[in-house]
Amino acid sequence: MSSSRTETLVEVTMPQMGVSVAEGMIVAWRKHPGDWVEADETVCDISTDKIDTEIPSPASGRLVEILVQENETVTVGTLLATIDTGAQPGQAHAVESNGHAAAPEPQPEPNGSPDRSHVISPVVRRIAGEHGVDLSQVKGTGIGGRIRKKDVLAFIEAGPAQERPLHTESPYRPEPAPAPAQAQEESTGSERRMPLTPMRRQIAEHMLRSKRTAAHVTTFAEVDMSRVVARRAELKERFAARGVPLTYLAFVARATVAALQDQPVLNASIDGDDLVYHGDVNLGIAVALEDGLIVPVIPRAQHLSLEGIAAAIGDVSTRARSKQLVAEDVQGGTFTITNPGQFGTTLATPIINQPQVAILDLEAVVKRAVVVDGPEGDSIAIRPMVNVCLSFDHRALDGAEAARFLGAVKARLEQWADDA
Amino acid sequence: MSEMTYLEAISDGLREEMRRDDSVFCLGEDIGVFGGAFKVTAGFHEEFGAERVLDMPLAENIIIGAAVGAAVEGMRPVCEMQFADFIACGFDQLVNVAAKLHYRQGVAVPMVVRLPTGGGFSGGPFHSQNPEAWFLQAPGLKVVAPATAEDAKGLLVSAIRDPNPVMFLEHKHLYRRIRGDVPEGEHTVPIGEARVVRAGGELSVFAYGSTVAMAQQAAEELDEDIEVVDLRTLCPLDRDTILASARKTGKVLIAHEATRSCGVGAEVAALIGEEAFEDLDAPVRRLTAPDVPIPFSPPLEQHVLPGLDDMKEAARELLAY
Repeated sequence: MSSSRTETLVEVTMPQMGVSVAEGMIVAWRKHPGDWVEADETVCDISTDKIDTEIPSPASGRLVEILVQENETVTVGTLLATIDTGAQPGQAHAVESNGHAAAPEPQPEPNGSPDRSHVISPVVRRIAGEHGVDLSQVKGTGIGGRIRKKDVLAFIEAGPAQERPLHTESPYRPEPAPAPAQAQEESTGSERRMPLTPMRRQIAEHMLRSKRTAAHVTTFAEVDMSRVVARRAELKERFAARGVPLTYLAFVARATVAALQDQPVLNASIDGDDLVYHGDVNLGIAVALEDGLIVPVIPRAQHLSLEGIAAAIGDVSTRARSKQLVAEDVQGGTFTITNPGQFGTTLATPIINQPQVAILDLEAVVKRAVVVDGPEGDSIAIRPMVNVCLSFDHRALDGAEAARFLGAVKARLEQWADDA
Repeated sequence: MSEMTYLEAISDGLREEMRRDDSVFCLGEDIGVFGGAFKVTAGFHEEFGAERVLDMPLAENIIIGAAVGAAVEGMRPVCEMQFADFIACGFDQLVNVAAKLHYRQGVAVPMVVRLPTGGGFSGGPFHSQNPEAWFLQAPGLKVVAPATAEDAKGLLVSAIRDPNPVMFLEHKHLYRRIRGDVPEGEHTVPIGEARVVRAGGELSVFAYGSTVAMAQQAAEELDEDIEVVDLRTLCPLDRDTILASARKTGKVLIAHEATRSCGVGAEVAALIGEEAFEDLDAPVRRLTAPDVPIPFSPPLEQHVLPGLDDMKEAARELLAY
């Protein structure tokens, strides 16, 4: 146990998250100087303008130094922290032994690992049960203060310390500890002031930039969803049996992709003075999160059938909500669909997702009395209707093209055919 | 007793059995006048003649197939694979014929296949493998893997006398590096019994073949209360000894040179998880080669093969857990 050890430092740097990301912000450090960290264990959370993610440790060792503080934004490749791979779990941190650090007395725990005193192994649980041991009375000597088998055996060996108290609860209730002061968080009276989360700040910046950049125009179409509703009812169970949730959004996405292939000017982006037509339809799907919004991309959506698109939407939205997206999932979109209609709204004027040239908004499907023309002339019928709203960049295309596109989407939905 | 190398002990056991029993003979590539690639059968041609020390063509399916036929007819053949890796060429005869004859027709197949295994000498991907897990998936085969000179002789003799096909894994790295006192004359070690090499109370290290001596050295250098168990037989596993040790210490490290997935380590870990869950004080850990072929490059090979430092680190972490 007395082996001499050398300090071998491994660097933790801001990773390259896809080609277009140049910088990232430290959201929170999960590990602190002196902490033991396993290879691939998360050392900190970062936020980039594409995605929020975690940085895994490149090696097992002890975190020596943190060089970038929380809420600081640094460029890709910047040194964030160093890890000493020559350290051993349970040994003192080099800085401590050099006398630099603030730890004036030996740590109560064998090392600076996260608290693991609550981790109870099967054998400790069994022995404690057999001997009626209250594990909260046992001092753990394992990593992070975990109670080892030998700890509970030693506790039993030492015998009953005192008569068990009749009441284990004290009538005294300590005052709740004041909440630790959050940086920049203030409360005065009925007002509460919170800093914007990194995601909110990015959304704010992105939306304003789009408003400043594009010449937004929004056009609307009413769509009779009768055939889609009927077809969905027919397919829904069958798809569900294969684990594919079939939503109206999937139908609209399929119709949109088909219409985009006929009118590539809407599957494009403006780059300086050029209009760039994209060969693939990489379809962005806006997903609302608890604290914001993210747009994962379904790549090459033109190759996907209705079921394929439905499955892809289910996949990306599940992963978005569980924060499982990777940087590649939110890059390269060529057109975006947003779907706030699930909350019952019927009209919106969405902001274009730059550098794309248009965004389609799907509102709520609602039953309305509409005039239909049949073989016996006009009549009034109850039909499931939906408004689809298209915001487009008037720099890239004009109203006629936008209207033709929206009309094509409408026609495909009203005359739904699976292979459309 | 006389001191022998691991390799000499194998020769000694084979020679003793050939002297004792006329039905025992060996067959393999270059094992006659040349004495075998590693010289296990050096001198055998002179003592027993060409009819009991058969030089075979470079065709492992014929070696295994001929041995199956001879065994069914009442002989006790001992096949030598020049390298364990080459058993792949005789696999159909081994796993579909030798392993299943007793199940299908009640016919005993008393044969032994000697398999020089393991890496550490820059032999590359075709001359360094540890293929024991292949055999563990073929019910009907027994598999032994001695780590000491004494066990090498004793297990080989037991394997020859066993009525089943027995795979005898002899680690090339041990051939001339491991030596020890070996009983002269008749000596057997029962198949299916592990051996507690070093008793301890805080951590069980299960090893076999090349990792046994490594585990002993690690335990001594760490100077901790570590139990080292040499499995010796991989099929049938000595469940009682494994479970008794795991229940005693509550912490388990399984070490082998073979690759990781679905290996002996996985099987032992599953056994302990099923039978000794309530005695565990830490996650069961494996120390193995990763799931890759063995590289030619010496530094890469050293990186791939589990070593003493890896063993000590894993043991330290488990002890501290």
